[in-house]
Amino acid sequence: MATPDIIFYTNKASIYAERVEFAFQEAKADVTRYSIDFANKPEWYAPRVNPASKVPALVYGSPKSDPENPSPESARITESLVLLEFVADLYPDSGLLPKDPVERARVRFFIDAVSTKVSPATAAFFFRGESPDAFIATVAEIQELLPPTAQFAVGDHFTIADAAIAPFLARWELQLRNDVGKFAEGTGPGVHKELFQSERFARLQKYLANISSRESFKSSFDPGVHMVTKMFEVGLRMLW
Amino acid sequence: MATPDIIFYSAKGSPFSQRVEIAFQEAKADITKYSIDLRDKPEWYASRVNSTGMLPVVVYGSPRSDPEHPSPESAKIAESHILLEFIADLYLDSGLLPKDPVERARVRLFIDAAVTKLTAPTSAFFHGGSPDGFIAALMEIQELLPPTANFAVGDHFTIADAAIAPFLARWELRLRNDVGKFEEGTGLRVYEELFQSERFARLQKYYASISNRESFKNSFDPEYILAMDTGRLGRH
Repeated sequence: MATPDIIFYTNKASIYAERVEFAFQEAKADVTRYSIDFANKPEWYAPRVNPASKVPALVYGSPKSDPENPSPESARITESLVLLEFVADLYPDSGLLPKDPVERARVRFFIDAVSTKVSPATAAFFFRGESPDAFIATVAEIQELLPPTAQFAVGDHFTIADAAIAPFLARWELQLRNDVGKFAEGTGPGVHKELFQSERFARLQKYLANISSRESFKSSFDPGVHMVTKMFEVGLRMLW
Repeated sequence: MATPDIIFYSAKGSPFSQRVEIAFQEAKADITKYSIDLRDKPEWYASRVNSTGMLPVVVYGSPRSDPEHPSPESAKIAESHILLEFIADLYLDSGLLPKDPVERARVRLFIDAAVTKLTAPTSAFFHGGSPDGFIAALMEIQELLPPTANFAVGDHFTIADAAIAPFLARWELRLRNDVGKFEEGTGLRVYEELFQSERFARLQKYYASISNRESFKNSFDPEYILAMDTGRLGRH
């Protein structure tokens, strides 16, 4: 039986889709990507792929399916964190999830602890322009969860814990540096200096440096300035 | 090498702890269960087991003969949904998680949907709000259930069922006894809708399947829980 196709419905500006893209790159997965334009969503997308109309979404099943008309028998999977586990299950030797049950629990604990913080913090600061101090305090909590010397979130191997939070860190860095957000004009660079240049956040900076030197990261994250405003607009419109 | 010992710290009456207890029983796991009354937590718990003070927790790799002194080197794992995955990982042939990646994703999507859709409307309703959101959310969950299979994602009991069963059971118990901060009689009315009307026949069949499991019956103490909930949510 031929390997089932993976059709990945995505958008480069979506932070949640990027989590999954990052994992696909790490696993060196063979994936057909179909970009969904948020401003101009195809009318077949919700009825044929994802009733919630969001990305990321994945169709997995019979080979050679047409992305615009995937076989109704193929499985549809959504939710970025469920998709990260799915990619780890499809590629058990990628290291995306360790094999040891206790280590796997550590990866999931990290994802849980951080994902409950990053989304609300991003929404509050970048999309509603609320307190920079509260945002910085949340980032400090996240830094506390990183192991003191290991390269990645739960050890020296890249796992789905990294795929889950790296897109947030990368976007924060990019948006702050370019002063993009609903906060008062000029706030961005000040917060950037605190988080990405000060000694207080040295651990976080080292972690982001480890992440951004991965080939998989460079392939999945487009740091072009043109993308920065686009990401922000997309985020605002979609509540991302 | 012998399999590491497992000590399960369980909060009496807690639905989160019951999830884990059900999973251990379904896996026929040989563990030590240490039951804690949340109103009378031992003073050593936070310093020796979990600094947040929360339960359930599983300690892995410390002698089960001494649950009050878990070894500092042992692994301590918290959060019920993480523990469900952990138990499924430890007992690969239990069926708690299927082996097929797509089926595993279905289990996780069910758990995610149940938590996302139910948490807010349920809390609002039992604290005196309208039942409409709660009933609508349960209708959405009912629609996720396979038309004829016994459990949430098929004919095998999985962590999807372990995750939702303790909550469905507590809602059933409260509604049947009209326990909640809503107006008197509302609970009974909603009970009729959810647990007796034709509209929710599928949900009723599902609830019957899960509440008949030995693992559920062994971990559910309705009198204790009703007394606890009446204290917290009753009209005085």
